[in-house]
Amino acid sequence: MRKTIEKVYMGIILVFMYLPIVTMIILSFNSSKSRAKWGGFTFDWYINLASDSEIINAFANTLIIALISTVVATIIGTATCVAMMGLHKKSRSVIMGITNIPMINADIVTGISLMLLFRFLHFNAGFITVLIAHITFNIPYVMLSVMPRMKTINPSVYEAALDLGAEPFFAFRKTVLPDLMPAVISGAMMAFTMSLDDFIITYFTKGSGFDTLSTKIYSEVKRGIQPEIYALSAIIFIIVIVLMVGSRQLKARNSAASSKKEISYEKRKGLSKKTILLLAAACGVIVVIGLTFGGVFKTEDNQVYVYNWGEYIDPEVITMFEEETGIKVIYDEFESNEIMYAKIASDNSAYDVICPSDYMISRMIQEGMLQELDWNSLPYASENIDPNYLESAASFDEGNKYAVPNFCGTVGILYNKTLVDDPVTSWDILWDEKYAGQILMQDSVRDAFMVALAKNGYSINSTDPAQLEEAAAELIAQKPLVQAYVIDQVRDKMIGGEAALGVIYSGEALYTQRENSDLEYVIPDEGSNVWLDGWCITRDSKHTENALKWINFMCREDIALMNFEYVTYTTPNLKAQELIEDETIRNSTVAFPTEDTLSRCEVYTYLGQDADELYNELWKKIKAAD
Amino acid sequence: MFNNRQTSRLLASPYIAWAVIFIVVPLAMIFFYGLTDESGALTFANVAAIARPENLKSLGLALVLALISTIICFLLAYPLAMILASNKISSQGIITTLFILPMWMNFLLRTMAWMTLLENKGVINGILSFFGLPTINIINTSAAIVIGMVYNFLPFMILPLYNALARIDDSVINAARDLGANAVQTFFKITLPLTIPGILSGITMVFIPALTTFAISTMLGGSKILLIGNVIEQEFTLSYDWNMGAGLSLVLMLFIIVNMVVTMMTDKSSNS
Repeated sequence: MRKTIEKVYMGIILVFMYLPIVTMIILSFNSSKSRAKWGGFTFDWYINLASDSEIINAFANTLIIALISTVVATIIGTATCVAMMGLHKKSRSVIMGITNIPMINADIVTGISLMLLFRFLHFNAGFITVLIAHITFNIPYVMLSVMPRMKTINPSVYEAALDLGAEPFFAFRKTVLPDLMPAVISGAMMAFTMSLDDFIITYFTKGSGFDTLSTKIYSEVKRGIQPEIYALSAIIFIIVIVLMVGSRQLKARNSAASSKKEISYEKRKGLSKKTILLLAAACGVIVVIGLTFGGVFKTEDNQVYVYNWGEYIDPEVITMFEEETGIKVIYDEFESNEIMYAKIASDNSAYDVICPSDYMISRMIQEGMLQELDWNSLPYASENIDPNYLESAASFDEGNKYAVPNFCGTVGILYNKTLVDDPVTSWDILWDEKYAGQILMQDSVRDAFMVALAKNGYSINSTDPAQLEEAAAELIAQKPLVQAYVIDQVRDKMIGGEAALGVIYSGEALYTQRENSDLEYVIPDEGSNVWLDGWCITRDSKHTENALKWINFMCREDIALMNFEYVTYTTPNLKAQELIEDETIRNSTVAFPTEDTLSRCEVYTYLGQDADELYNELWKKIKAAD
Repeated sequence: MFNNRQTSRLLASPYIAWAVIFIVVPLAMIFFYGLTDESGALTFANVAAIARPENLKSLGLALVLALISTIICFLLAYPLAMILASNKISSQGIITTLFILPMWMNFLLRTMAWMTLLENKGVINGILSFFGLPTINIINTSAAIVIGMVYNFLPFMILPLYNALARIDDSVINAARDLGANAVQTFFKITLPLTIPGILSGITMVFIPALTTFAISTMLGGSKILLIGNVIEQEFTLSYDWNMGAGLSLVLMLFIIVNMVVTMMTDKSSNS
């Protein structure tokens, strides 16, 4: 009876622990890209995985960081534990105290503190900084595992060996190390696990273009994860299980063998040699994988660092650019102008080409964060870009000195016709109690305030504190009805029918309609935001020439067309527009809004530092409200 | 080595150098940034910012959720650790690895899988409605965040408890029973006190990461619920105010120090 209860209890906890993992494995066979919909059984993601260099790259980085940091941390940690025995009690407790800091300290504090150090030292964030960070938090795990064991070791055997004429290191290796080994190995395992699983510290210490699996997934979670990741996790899971079962069988066989014969000292050593050989082989495999696929030691000079919006380019275009020019592209994505700004402000040379929107371009120009473009190197841009768009870009970038228009679009409401029966013509519907828990708002300051300001009939560029307070109050009142504040996730959630109404950018609307024909996009009568973003080059760019080549390439009509068909935002590229074959898209009012709609929409302008702070202040209050 | 001070110092020096550069100095940097403003002048404003209602609220909520998660983890893990420890001869290795194994799958992936499970049209609700049962709406609430915390940090509670329980000598328990204590008395008078060090390290290892997380609350809270970790993260990635971020981190360190002191004091009193 008692045994049964125990088994049931253990079973329940195991189900709890493994339920998400099973879910993930099932999703890896789901042919629908959306997590929320089962589209049938497929092996596609496993096949695609093999050619997805980004994911493989991130995985290789994760492995190599975990391996190197574990080895280094194990050596340093074990050496320190051994040394501790010969130190003063006082210095011992000081060392242990310091060692406890990364253990006890929150990951976020450790991560931030290291980031501040690296920035202060002008270290280029990337592989090395992440490695240092991982070694730093791994050493304590090794020490905490080895230290208790070290304390139980009797020094007399070691001393006897010395008395018999052994060299100190030889004596150590023969007497102390074998006793220490189990603790060292379990410490190393712990360190390896922690390194694999770490997200927060890596997130703060990684630089541009360097991703481990964790950081890669975090950026993907926000914009809808690629199913290839599920496939990869399923594979990892299977490998781990096989390794575990294999090692257990090996152990069982060894212990069966040793129980037959009296185990001699020699024998024991022989066994551990076998284990060491196995471990070394595993390490070798990891190193090979890491070096082959990881971006770790590839320090090509002919490259360009691009920082673009999520899902804002046809991936094929990047490959084409690399093939045609021989320039290696390091491509990262951001979610909002503000996140992009914070990154560039902290390290201007982190990226060469960025793609901010109107008001952010104006702010970055004012703050001297961009460099003037050499239009002579941009023949496609001068030929293909619609002069009307250049003219409107000049409103925030006088003389078109800093930016080449990339895409433009509007902000509106996407709604599910089967879930919403009222006509959607006004922002007011986002405050309708009827749709409580069914509304998705944009998790970006300006867009959220735009909705409330437009609803109240104010300018979306308002800096009047009274109007802003009023808008903030509206947003706080709306919060209980809001299901979530999201950016790129709107797409997945609307496709899956998870929400009825969502604030969304126009390009996403066409994409979602393709996946779910019940969805409809509306620009409310009160008006909205029309935005334009453009390619810019950072002030301290290290690859200006390549950056210009990138921008020019993006303006070539066939490339612009590919991008347009992939992201479906309005392209300012005249020649590309002419090339659009699909009638419905060419005539789509979502992709190409009418004059009448546009007349209701306003462009964001940069409001200055004071207004910016007020927006941020109020936004924090909204986010903290109930 | 055991008595040779010079060799010992030599052996310890790489770590000491490492620890000073990558543990002590970065910590000092947090103090520096946290206690200065943009121009580098000394100020307490960044630390005092914790008193703003919105920050205070996110700190309070983080404390409450971390506390609830820690208690749930403890209540779930203790019986489990007892079961595991009582079967120690048969399958020690496989059982403990079984509970560490999920950690080899990426932490964010596992959390995201919970999103899929808990969503309104997610897996759990799909199963519930299939059987005609009422569905649950807990995604983007504090409850979902607590589930995520418990799920992610449970192994950190199981392991130290298991180690502490496995270390208890059976003869001590048998002695208590022989002396007439019943099962309940033995548990409260012998087992529980003997595992206090394990409990304390389990609590620390769950409470601290739960208190300071920002990924779990972002993913399972739909960015609607702001914990102190989110506030700090946003100061760095969104508002670009490093001084404020560092200042708030200092406040967080205060809680960690309090936790350490309490742990040490309980540890001492339980020893004596």
